[in-house]
Amino acid sequence: MIDFHTHTPSWRTSSWLGGVSFGADEFVGFMDVAGIERAVVLSHDGLFDPSPSTNDDLAAFVAEFPDRLLGFGTVHPRLEGAPEEVARMMGPLGLRGLKLHPWLQGFSMHEASLDPICEVLAAEGGMLLSHDGTPPYSTAGQIAALARRHPTLPVVLGHGGLHDTWREALTLVSETENLYLCICGTPPYAAREILAKAPPHKVLFGTDAGLSDRVSQDYAVARVREIEGWGITPEQKQAMLVDNPRALLDGAR
Amino acid sequence: MIIDAHVRLGRGREVVLEPEALITSMDRLGIDKALVAPDERCIAVDDREGNDRVAAAAAASGGRLIPYAVANPWRGARAVDELRRARDAGARALCVDSVLQGFDLLDGLLDPLLEFARDAGWFVYVRTGTPPSALPLPLASLARRFPDVAFVMGRSGATDFWIDAAPALRYAGNLFGDTCYAPWDTVLAALAADPEIGASRLVFSTDSPYTVPEAELSRVTDWPITDTERAEVLGGVVGRLLG
Ligand SMILES: [Zn+2]
Repeated sequence: MIDFHTHTPSWRTSSWLGGVSFGADEFVGFMDVAGIERAVVLSHDGLFDPSPSTNDDLAAFVAEFPDRLLGFGTVHPRLEGAPEEVARMMGPLGLRGLKLHPWLQGFSMHEASLDPICEVLAAEGGMLLSHDGTPPYSTAGQIAALARRHPTLPVVLGHGGLHDTWREALTLVSETENLYLCICGTPPYAAREILAKAPPHKVLFGTDAGLSDRVSQDYAVARVREIEGWGITPEQKQAMLVDNPRALLDGAR
Repeated sequence: MIIDAHVRLGRGREVVLEPEALITSMDRLGIDKALVAPDERCIAVDDREGNDRVAAAAAASGGRLIPYAVANPWRGARAVDELRRARDAGARALCVDSVLQGFDLLDGLLDPLLEFARDAGWFVYVRTGTPPSALPLPLASLARRFPDVAFVMGRSGATDFWIDAAPALRYAGNLFGDTCYAPWDTVLAALAADPEIGASRLVFSTDSPYTVPEAELSRVTDWPITDTERAEVLGGVVGRLLG
């Protein structure tokens, strides 16, 4: 299976999100226990300190296991040089996409400064994964509006609307050609409904691993185990865990 | 004694849970008792029908199911009358969902129902989350206005308002956190380790039928805490809230 939403430790910034630090080898050890073959690893420090060096750190982390880990870096769209940094991420650094967390980073998806960033990202064959499910800056409707401005860029809702806006996420994924949805932190009944109603090729899964107080990432292991109780079909499970993420990642470049 | 502090019985928009299925699940998981609330439609509009159905399910359960009462606070004095009727039929606590019922926790509509709960010795479950759901901190302010009533912060603000769960629990000593959806190795451990909070301010719930109940129980049984703390979370605390 492919886990489409994990995090590096926060090496340099302290926040309420922070868990215990771990190395890439320990992270792959967790993946082996959970049965995860490949993981999309999202920038963590970069959300608080969007300097190019945080993308360097992420690139070094995933480079230890290039067959297992795919890095999504970040930039702050209002900072000068952000499009150039996206080009550097996707070129020399070998990262595979851009992670944005509009409520943590503090910007709106409607800001024009995002357009040159998305143009570079699309031209480089990358994709965007955004936090979603949290007003005021991270709703599916807002993220879909950005996706419509950049129809060749695959855009992923990182959390499937979470608990309270998942119906909005499901609606927008169905309405928006280049919008995908990662079930991550979404409650089981909503996951089941999303899998039944969304375009079948658009649903992905992520554990949000990397934030635990333990190197073993216990909540992420438990979340993978929980899928057995969701009441979904073997075909839905295969599409969500294997076929859809593989097609999206392998098709993107 | 394991008590599940929150389950909804009946048919919701995307979910369904009948009493027989709940009892079967409780037997399988070793859950002794469950507090049961009516389904979404009954919480929103058909409160009398919902209260009757959970009272009937409880009466047929040999003491395994304990009914919550619901009443839409927009109904004013009639809502209080309905709570009185539900209490006489066996209800032991009040269940509130401000999204389904269409009000603001701080607009005053709920106050007569909270006064009834106080006089009846009931605790009050309030569903929280991300906007548009009620948030943990306004609930803490409401709880401080009713210091003799215990409040359970349903879902503990899951997920992005977990950040507010600890400040809310510190702000109102009569507020209790809910374990459902909260990883033990991030959220629950932080709440239990907080000197102003601790495991004795947390209650276990499965939030069935929205979840995988065994996964909700596992997050408490897998959690490395003392047996005494675990007994508190799994049933001791809510047992005391029930009086
Ligand atoms: Zn995340």
